[in-house]
Amino acid sequence: MIHPLILVAVFIVSAVLGYFIIRTVPSLLHTPLMSGMNALSGVTIVGAIVATGVAFLAGDGFWAQFAGGLAIVLAAVNVFGGFGVTHRMLKMFDKKKK
Amino acid sequence: MPALQIILSAVLAVLVLAGISMMSKVKTAVAGNLLSAFAMLCGIVGTLFFAGVVSVWTIYVSILIGALIGSLLAARVQMIQMPQTVALFNGLGGGASALVGLLSVHGETAFVRFTALLAVAVGMVTLVGSLVAAGKLHRVLPQKPVVWKAHALCTLLFLALTLAFVVAGAFVEGIGLTVCQVGAFVSASLFGLWFSLRVGGADMPITISLLNSLSGVAGSIAGMAIGDVFLVAVGGIVGASGLLLTQIMCRAMNRKLMSILTGGTMTPPAPQPPVIEENENEELIRRIMDLEKKIKELEAMVADLEARVKALDGQLNAAPAPAPVAAPAPAEEAPTAASVLSKAKDVIIVPGYGMALAQAQHQVRQLADKLESRGARVRFAIHPVAGRMPGHMNVLLAEADVDYEKLYEMDAINDDFKNADAVVVIGANDVLNPAARNAVGTPIYGMPVLNVDQAPEVIVCNFDLKPGYAGVENPIYSREKGVYLELGDAKETLMRLMAGIA
Repeated sequence: MIHPLILVAVFIVSAVLGYFIIRTVPSLLHTPLMSGMNALSGVTIVGAIVATGVAFLAGDGFWAQFAGGLAIVLAAVNVFGGFGVTHRMLKMFDKKKK
Repeated sequence: MPALQIILSAVLAVLVLAGISMMSKVKTAVAGNLLSAFAMLCGIVGTLFFAGVVSVWTIYVSILIGALIGSLLAARVQMIQMPQTVALFNGLGGGASALVGLLSVHGETAFVRFTALLAVAVGMVTLVGSLVAAGKLHRVLPQKPVVWKAHALCTLLFLALTLAFVVAGAFVEGIGLTVCQVGAFVSASLFGLWFSLRVGGADMPITISLLNSLSGVAGSIAGMAIGDVFLVAVGGIVGASGLLLTQIMCRAMNRKLMSILTGGTMTPPAPQPPVIEENENEELIRRIMDLEKKIKELEAMVADLEARVKALDGQLNAAPAPAPVAAPAPAEEAPTAASVLSKAKDVIIVPGYGMALAQAQHQVRQLADKLESRGARVRFAIHPVAGRMPGHMNVLLAEADVDYEKLYEMDAINDDFKNADAVVVIGANDVLNPAARNAVGTPIYGMPVLNVDQAPEVIVCNFDLKPGYAGVENPIYSREKGVYLELGDAKETLMRLMAGIA
């Protein structure tokens, strides 16, 4: 088990780094940025996979496994949908110029 | 084992950051997005191995179902529906984090129990809040702020209850963990419902940014509960990004975050103008879009012909000696919007949420093309909170093939209004209301606005002259000189305007 303090530190460091990098994104691209971030927030799929896997291997009841599966489905919609719409929007911006 | 996992997580987190920093330029943004997606994929595969759950087949089935739904939605959704789509996806991510929290709540340590319960709470607030926001944006819920009895009190109460359940479940011995789980789940959901219903349409950019931030935080906290570094890091990045956007939006509206959440300063908004019927069935919309496409093609051909005629004209005119080309123009007719635009050499277009409602972005581009083919310089002035989400106008104009280099941020163009020959306002009101500078006590007082009032000629293509969401009259409309009001559906007024430009 990773020490809680390390986890909290990781959270703070990545948030600060992210803050300063994201500041460079112009408002022109704020919608794609937001929807890209939105897709990234689907990273919780990783947590869902772990939780589901553990429940499955431990032979937990149906509901625990079902909840895990549902979490994966929701997060996967978030990830695939989010990256998908972001890609579509960005391609619109980057059309070749006449 | 954890050492390798931590290193890999760090590398992937850096990849994500690199992807984001590539999103600061249009040229590299597509690749940046793909890089982030790639890092995510690696994170998922890595987790399967590190958690030792490669053999669990239900995981793959679930991913497949989610991927199918998500990809279909992403491919089908129209650009005009982007705000509610983003809100919906955002909510689902929050919901997933809440479920992860529910599943991992039976931890040994207080830290795990605390973070798991907190993930449930933040996740549910995100889910419910996003669904309400999506409902409002999709117009299945009222746009106006909904205020129930003792609204502020209830909101606070639910928040306090949520925190109490989270803390009790984590630190107090002997309290049923299930009770706290259910308690946090329910009270957080109620809090999400109460706070999001209170938010009105024009505050949506701020709300969406905030919910975006929350979904990241929820994921990060869930990551703490299960001890996953990658999840914690990426969640933190998303949380920071959402917060930054929220800040930018708040500054652009001169509003305090707290007052939006509690509904503090908002005067009861004027009754929303009856907007254009837009719940026609999809078939109709599709047919209209087809027709529009054809019109666009025809317009392009006409523009092409016009350009050629002009070129020929130029050649003809170049040959003969300087005849009195500047024909005397004694006919001093009263100027019209079209005649002003016909003469203008420097035009600034100001789009607002009304353009999105009327879906007039294609007509706007045609107008810009027409003016440019006549030799005018056309620029677009984009207020940071125009529309319903950060950057909303940019996306719509990009969809209509407007070159992004013509889109200017407020600060970059605000000094040029006084030198512009004409300004065309399309469905925008509050973002150019000069009353914001001096009408102390109104909701928009102090909000930075576009200096449209400094332009000599202003053409307003709004649906009507009712005050905007902020409920403050716009003095530009009653200006005596140099204001042309073209009221009605922006699509039609723009068509009329273009037809009138000689």
